[in-house]
Amino acid sequence: MKRYVIATGTVTYAIKGRDILRKNGFAVKIERITGDKTLGCGYVLIISEKVSEAEKILKNNGVKILKITEEQ
Amino acid sequence: MIYLDNAATNGHKPQSVINAVNFALLNLSANPGRSGHKASTMAADLVYKTRQKTADFFGAEGAEQVVFTQNCTQSLNFVIKGVLKKGDHAVVSSLEHNAVMRPLVKTGINYSVARVYENDNDTVKAFEDKIKVNTKLVIMTAASNVTGQILPFLEVARICQKRGVLFCLDAAQGAGILPINMQGMCIDYLCAAPHKSLYAPMGLGILICRKPIESTIIEGGTGTSSLEFLQPNTLPEMLESGTINVPAIAGLSAGIDFVEKQGVENIYKKEIRLLKMLYEGLSGCENIILYTKPPFMHKYAPILPFNVKGMKSEEAAAYFDKNGIALRAGLHCAPTAHKMLGTTDSGTLRASFSVFNTENEVLRAINAAKKL
Repeated sequence: MKRYVIATGTVTYAIKGRDILRKNGFAVKIERITGDKTLGCGYVLIISEKVSEAEKILKNNGVKILKITEEQ
Repeated sequence: MIYLDNAATNGHKPQSVINAVNFALLNLSANPGRSGHKASTMAADLVYKTRQKTADFFGAEGAEQVVFTQNCTQSLNFVIKGVLKKGDHAVVSSLEHNAVMRPLVKTGINYSVARVYENDNDTVKAFEDKIKVNTKLVIMTAASNVTGQILPFLEVARICQKRGVLFCLDAAQGAGILPINMQGMCIDYLCAAPHKSLYAPMGLGILICRKPIESTIIEGGTGTSSLEFLQPNTLPEMLESGTINVPAIAGLSAGIDFVEKQGVENIYKKEIRLLKMLYEGLSGCENIILYTKPPFMHKYAPILPFNVKGMKSEEAAAYFDKNGIALRAGLHCAPTAHKMLGTTDSGTLRASFSVFNTENEVLRAINAAKKL
């Protein structure tokens, strides 16, 4: 199953992003990844659909995004 | 013990705060934002929710603006040393605490002192007159920790906004008693001591930044960008190097709930009623010296300075202590305020209230004063 990994850089923005996406109807969870040390705190948001819409919502709400990757 | 030293730190915590701290110690003793396990994530969630609750309480835009420090003094240091640079000018009031004056002097930045008057219009004009072309920051206490006088911070903040000057409010004596809305009141930085009128434990300070802090004075691990030796510049983590005080943050969350349930206005009304009662009782004692005008709503925080004729403030405080009444004596870390009162040599006694104080306690304090 496809999933999108949204790195926010800090745990504060990760939780803020999670709460905002949930309010907007997204199924979202927070994970901590260890492979990429450039991804700030390593806390990322995981969603499985509508990544462009999620990105727009997050940016409109002031959530800083470091990187978005797609995983299968 | 009748505790009338709540301006130093609140002497009575609500049971809900004690329960929240206890819960955090038992269940959330994990480092938020550092580890990925469940306990760490639960702690991070609590911290985030408390940031959001604090932002909402003070009318800030978002949780990421809320920094948890060790105390209000550290919050003020972060602002003063992180915002002001060589060539800048700052303005402070004549009633500031050493938590403002000492870091300001340490920076070596030029600053002006705006005198605080009984009449708010005169105070506002004094601030306006001190703002120069290179004034970058105005720092102002919401209420004097010595006289209790509430300063016209709303008016001064609006002038700062019009003139492109940053405004920092030291709300050590105002948060939880006075309505404060950062967005509505044009407050750029808010520093608060939640262990006072927000009923949280000691060891926690609040700094809310609606504008950036340009440089840090403490660097270290933030749980972010760990490959970099340069301090990250993203709030709140850039100002939270090292492990934060999760149990106290849990207590703050419960403390804000407590204050909101009681109502800021209701708490203030009750404490001012007690202040008036004490003022009137002491004004009938021949041996008591009062320094302020009779207190009234929206002009005074629930703080009263006084002295006993012929006694040093520390001696008088010891007398009250023997009679089971806790007051603070001395200069209260605010020498310029005492200079204005003419009490630099003697200091003063200071009585200050919380929502848990009662009329009976005030009567007992007045009776103790009468027996001196």
